[in-house]
This record gives sequence, structure tokens and C-alpha cells, in this order.
Amino acid sequence: MSHSKAATIFNKDEKKVNWHDKALWFVRHKRDISAHTVKGWEELRSLGQGIKAHTLSNLDTYLIQFEKNALNNGVQVHWAKDGDEHNKIVRRILKEHHAKKVVKSKSMLTEECHLNPFLEAEGIEIIDTDLGERIVQLAKEPPSHIVLPAIHKTKEEVDELFQEHLGTKPSGGDPQYLTGEARKHLRQKFIEADVAITGVNFAIAETGGFVVCTNEGNADMGAHLAPVHIACMGIEKLIPKQEHLGVFLRLLARSATGQHITTYSSHFKRPQKGNEMHIIIVDNGRTEQLSRPDFRSSLHCIRCGACMNTCPIYRRSGGHSYDATIPGPIGSILSPGKDLKEHSSLPFASTLCGSCSDVCPVKIDIHAQLYKWRQIITKETPQPFVKKFSMKIMGSIFSKPKQFEQVGKIARWSLRNLPKGMINSKPNVWGKERDLPLGPKESFDEWFKNRKKDGQ
Amino acid sequence: MKVGLFIPCYINQLYPQVGKATLELLERLNVEVAYPSGQTCCGQPMANSGYEYESVGACNNFVDNFKEFDYIVMPSGSCAYHVKKHFDVIPQTDDVVKVRENVYELCDFILNVLKVKNVGASFPYKVGLHKSCHGLRGLRLGSCSEMVTEEYSYIGALLEEVSGTEIIELTREDECCGFGGTFAVTEEAISVKMGKDRIQDHLDNGAEVITATDTSCLMHLEGLVTRNKQPLKILHIAEILNSVGDQKLKK
Amino acid sequence: MGSRDNILSRVKANKPEAIDLPKIDLNVFDDSRNVLDEFIKKVETAGGNVFEATSSENVVSQVKTMFPNAEVNFSNLEGTQRFNSFSLEEIKNPHDLDDLDILILEGGFGVAENGAIWLSDNKMTMRVLPFITKHLVLVLKKDNIVPLMHQAYQKLDSEETDFGVFISGPSKTADIEQSLVIGAHGALSLSIFLV
Repeated sequence: MSHSKAATIFNKDEKKVNWHDKALWFVRHKRDISAHTVKGWEELRSLGQGIKAHTLSNLDTYLIQFEKNALNNGVQVHWAKDGDEHNKIVRRILKEHHAKKVVKSKSMLTEECHLNPFLEAEGIEIIDTDLGERIVQLAKEPPSHIVLPAIHKTKEEVDELFQEHLGTKPSGGDPQYLTGEARKHLRQKFIEADVAITGVNFAIAETGGFVVCTNEGNADMGAHLAPVHIACMGIEKLIPKQEHLGVFLRLLARSATGQHITTYSSHFKRPQKGNEMHIIIVDNGRTEQLSRPDFRSSLHCIRCGACMNTCPIYRRSGGHSYDATIPGPIGSILSPGKDLKEHSSLPFASTLCGSCSDVCPVKIDIHAQLYKWRQIITKETPQPFVKKFSMKIMGSIFSKPKQFEQVGKIARWSLRNLPKGMINSKPNVWGKERDLPLGPKESFDEWFKNRKKDGQ
Repeated sequence: MKVGLFIPCYINQLYPQVGKATLELLERLNVEVAYPSGQTCCGQPMANSGYEYESVGACNNFVDNFKEFDYIVMPSGSCAYHVKKHFDVIPQTDDVVKVRENVYELCDFILNVLKVKNVGASFPYKVGLHKSCHGLRGLRLGSCSEMVTEEYSYIGALLEEVSGTEIIELTREDECCGFGGTFAVTEEAISVKMGKDRIQDHLDNGAEVITATDTSCLMHLEGLVTRNKQPLKILHIAEILNSVGDQKLKK
Repeated sequence: MGSRDNILSRVKANKPEAIDLPKIDLNVFDDSRNVLDEFIKKVETAGGNVFEATSSENVVSQVKTMFPNAEVNFSNLEGTQRFNSFSLEEIKNPHDLDDLDILILEGGFGVAENGAIWLSDNKMTMRVLPFITKHLVLVLKKDNIVPLMHQAYQKLDSEETDFGVFISGPSKTADIEQSLVIGAHGALSLSIFLV
């Protein structure tokens, strides 16, 4: 379903749209407050951009350095060219350890690879331990936001879900109670897990280590209890040196939720004695995006979600209307790179207001890339004949002053004289909820020419 | 200085009063303005819809008409932004480069080239300032709420000096109105919702008039205000700045 | 060609021309705020509580007053073994720490801008300790606080750790309608004693 269709459906419930919009705007607002407490915030963003750009320009060297150091640290390193290979590697590690129960902390990469259904088909229990992710897992839905996965769910909906799946008492959606119950339920899962899977926020080439950031502590509860820890990362998660974490950890949480740092920023380097640690490095379209000069900076993304919180369209249509693993503005410049036709409506789900680019902690020029994707989509995917044709006609009229004046005259006359019912009829989408301007008798051009004639 | 006036296509055809106000305002400020009548459009409608290649004719026509001028002034942030940013679709001849460097949105021109702050206007009403996005974040005609920078606003600076005007404070000072070109039609539901929310913000904070640098935004907001019979008047900044003497708002 | 070589050769072929690493000038970020005051403020913002103490014994006695009903307790502060209800050597499996009520750890150093404290497994034989405990208590020397994360990593440059974590506040979530709930999977509370 195109974004526009999904968004229209979402907008049928105006109360829900207002609720969703206000919830996310509040997160944007908190981000503003905390960014304003940082002296040199804009310089920090430039550094974030610069470090990532440098890293990409030297990525093969850094990947090799990272792997070498990780191996030296006693960590096993795997490479996966696509999601399918990634999933098979995970399955192989699980099989080696006769693992049946897996806990997973937030990893959009594993979402992208569709890891959960793959493992579930093998009879493996895989539990998402981030509360928001657990909620959508129970609801059998994908996350709608990369940082706030269940932002689209009301507390009453969560209450019902927990009653059904966790056996909680009806509480009217009491967040304290429900979170407490989730803690008990997931504590059991942590204790029983054979393997813990986490994502990677930043991988450090210099040390072979990586950092995982959470507020809940679920990544750590998984990784330090299970004998096997698998960390999944895209190739673009690399940064050159540990000192660069100083830049990124100052940017990440503030951009994401307005917190000055997440509760836990866990720095993994070597496995605990007797335990195993694995890193899976995944491509899945990233090297392809790297080859596109106009779009490669989308690989700078540190998955903070700030662009989603600020996007007036995302707030009023919800993550699911993008029908892509990563929704919102950043999703709209990443997804067409993976499947142009499937995601062709996404770069058009924007007014190009530019707010996303200005909140992006690594200064990805998202709105400029949306514009560029549009140019590619109209050329490389089938377009409605009417649209193509009318654009061609417009292009022609607007290059010929006399034709432009003619057409303008007709348009003005129609607006002035045709009955409103006819103008605001079904084919006129504009007229559904808005009036059209009245058609003035004279264009500016005509007025100016008359003024000249009257000797002004 | 040779100043050429560019009137955006939809202002030319649908809101000529904005063009008139712009011309009269500049003449009052003693600027000798030429209006090349072969002009049509900057090409934005096609380009933003993904049909950049269909806009080439319009771009070339723009350059042809304006290559002789030192300054090209227009009552539109989005058109000026489009010329500056997206005219790389045509070969970069000397003329093209010159034109791209010398386009100015109206307030920017008055404040920063003419160096005039008080244009002698009088407009005793509560005005809500809609900070049109392409001008704001594209041309940086003002600071935006996302960034941690010094606060400034070209349109705001001029409006502050208008006698009797009270600029009201909005809850969301620079959220997009939802016009977005063909977006207004292709994503109609969201476009309308965004417009309604903007209008409500202005109403909630006591605005009697909404103004902006861009008629595209205003056309969209006015369409909603008219349909929903809301007590707001929509005026382009040129019309306010050109309000000299006794002007009663036409209700 | 295996995936490793495939990926690396694609990266090599597709990467842009070399771009220099930007220089980080810390002067840009120096806001000369009082480091201690800022640290306390940020800990409290993150949901933690800050107390003063005069010694390790003093910490333990304050903690006992705060949590009178706690049964399973552990402290790694010097000279406070009497507080411990078990010995770490007895624990064969980290799962056995599931009922840990109070954990008192000596903190590494603090970071003022975000109220975080660094803990490394050099001082913590079982990594799960600060996460699995119901209540976490960290002890920090007042003069061992740096202003920003940049200085934090300068300090860590000379530290060799297999695992370390910055902890700022108790565990929390706002995943249910953006209502902040303190106490998710990690500790339900964080108390910092400044000595």
C-alpha cells in the first residue's frame, strides 16, 4: 500500500492522529531543550558528520582493523552479505549450542533481516526484551518507530495485550503496574536464555570493541547471563577510535529522547571467561548505497529517530504507513535504495520542509536526498500516464510566455465562472477540504502592462 | 543597481495583488524595478514532483529574462531557494551562475541589500507569522527552532517595525503548513491536517491575520480558512509592508 | 569468493575519495560550569539520588537505614565485608544473583554533563552485578568527576577493560504512552554517595 493510502486511513481517526502527533512532538521538544544545554552543539553535529564521512571513505581499512582487533580479543567474527546469510549464521551458532531460547535487545538490523520469523520457523523461542519491542511482538506487529517501537499503542491497548499474554489484572493501562509485570515476565526469560542477541550502536575499529546503549538494561541482562552473546551490526556502524564515542554518545540520546545519555552505555570488548561472543557484520545493501554519491551519507545514520519525531508527516501518519523496516525521513532515503519500486511513494511522503535535516545529529541532508530520489523514481519506475503527461505539458507551457498567459487566463476564468460544485467535484482533490482561490480578472502581468499604458 | 522583479507563477495568475504590493513597496523604497514580461515560472512545480527534466525550459526562460539584472527580487522564499539550489539541472553558463547568485526573497532584499528596517507601514492587527519552510531552512531567512544558534528572522525584523502590529507567539513556531506542492494533492489527508493544525495554533494564540513570505503556504491555509469559515485574514508580507495610511481589513 | 572478501571488495570499489578526519577542539565545548553541581543535577535528572558520606562504613550504615528489609546484599568497598550476605566466590552462576537486593560498588569516575559513572569489570568480577541487583549504590570521590564525555574517554585511554559501562540513573522506560516508569529490567533505584 502506498504511503498516501495508508496515511489517509490513519487520518480517519483524527483523535488518534492528534494523540500520536502530540506524543512525538513532545519528544522533539525534549530534544530541543537538551540540545540547547550543550555548548557547541552545532559543532558536535559537524564532528559527527565529519567522523562518519571519513570512516566511510576508509571503510574497508577500518573493517579489517576492527575484525583483527576483535579476533585478538577472543571474539568470533562473521560476515553476511545479506539478511538471509545473517539469519543462517545466527541459526548455525544456535545449533552449535543446542540453543532453544533466545533473548534479543533492540536491533533494527535483525528487523531488517526478518530474523524472528526465520528462527521461529525452526522452533526457536526468540523474545524481544525491550519493553516497546515486546509489546509489538505480542501484538504481532512490526515496530512503528526505531527508538519508541510501541509509540502507536495506547496504554489501554497495552493493558489488554498483557492481560491476554502475561495474565495481568485489568489496570486501565497503569504504566507502573504493567512495566512491573513485564519486568517479572522478562526476568524469567533472561534467566532461561541460552543465547543473547544484541544490536550494536557503535563499533570501534581501534579496539575491536562495540557499544550498546539502552535505558532498560535489557541488552546487559541478556548478554551477561547467557553463555553466548551474538552482536549484529551493519558495516556502517564503525567509527575509527574510542575517543570518537565522546562525540557520538553526546549526540545520540539527546537527539533520540532528550536524555543526556541513556541509562546504560555498555562497552563490550572481550567475552566473560567461559562465555562466547560473536559479531556478525552485515552488508544487505549497504555497499550498494555506498556507491551512490548522492545518497551515501544516509549511511551516517546513528538510528536516533530524531527525524521521525520532528517530521510533521510521520507524526500524522505513523510508522506503519511507510511499510518499511525503517520508516520516516531516514527510512524514505534508505528504502528506495533497496527496492525502488516497492518504496517509490516514500520520497513523496514529504513537503521537503527540511526539519529532519536540521535535527539530524550527523547532518544527513535528508530533504535534499528526498528530492533527488524523486527525480530517479519518475524516470525508473512506471508513472501514472496522467501525471507524466501533465508534467510534460506544464514544462512546455512554462517555457513559453505566451502560452503561459493563455493558460493562466483560462484557469482564472474557470475559477471565477464555473459553479463551485463543479470546481470542488471529485476529480479536484484539492477541493475536498479546501476552497480554491477566486480567479482574479487580471493577472499581474496584465495589470502591469495596463499600468504602463496608462503612463504610470 | 538594476533590479528585476520576478513574480511567481501562481501569484501572477491567482494573487496578482501580492505582485502589485511588492512592486509598489519597492518603488516606495525608491528602487527602480524592471519587470521583464517574458517571465513564466521558476520550474519548482515540475522539479519538486520529480520531473526536473521537464523544468529545463522554465529554468532557461528564467535565466533569459533575468540575466541582465544585478538583483532579482521575488515575493517568494521557495522560488528563490529553487533557483539557488536546483538550477544545477541546466548547464552552468556565466549567465546562469550570475542569476543563481543574485536572487533574493523580498524581505531579505529589503533588510540586507536596501538595509531598510522600517518601511513606513501601518497595520494595527495581531499577526501570526508563518515561517515558510523553504525560505526558513532552505535560504536561512531566519533561525529555526531545531538549531542551536542566535535567533533572527528577516520577515520578523521588518514586521516588528510596522506600526500597530502585534506579532503573536505560536505554540509551534516553525512547523510546516503542509502545502508541499503536489503533496497537497497526492497526500491530501495529511496536507489538510497539517494546515488545520497550523491554523488552530494561530487561532489559539489570538492571531487575526496570518502572514508569510510564500503565497503557496498562504493559498493552502486560506483554502482551509475559507472552507471552514474561520476568523482569519491571510495576507502576504508584501501586502502588510505596503499598508500605508488607513487600511481596514476587508472581512 | 566468501562474503568477507565480497563485502570488502565492494566497499573498496564503492567508497568515496578519502576524506580527512576532522579535528576535535575541546575549547568549543568548554562551558565552565561547576563540575560537582552539574553532576549532582544531572544524576537527579536521570532519576538517581545523591548523598554525602564520610567513609565506606558511613555509606554502609546509611544504606542499611535506607533499605532496612534488604536481605541479599553485597558490597565491594574496602572493609565492608560484614555487609555482605554472601561471598562472591560462592557464586558459580550469575543466575544465582537473581535475588540480589542491594549492591554497593566503588565507582570509577563520574561525568558531569550527564551524571554517568563509569564501572569496569576490573572492579566487578561478575558483569551482571550492577544490572541484576534490585537497588544499586555507587560510591564516588567528589574530585573524580570530569566535565564532558571527551575527558571521560581521555581517562579511559589508559584503562584496559574487557567490559565497562557508563551508568546514569536507575533503569527506566517510557514505552507505555511515553509515561516514564523508573525500574525496567535493571536496577529499580540508583543511589550515589559522594565521599
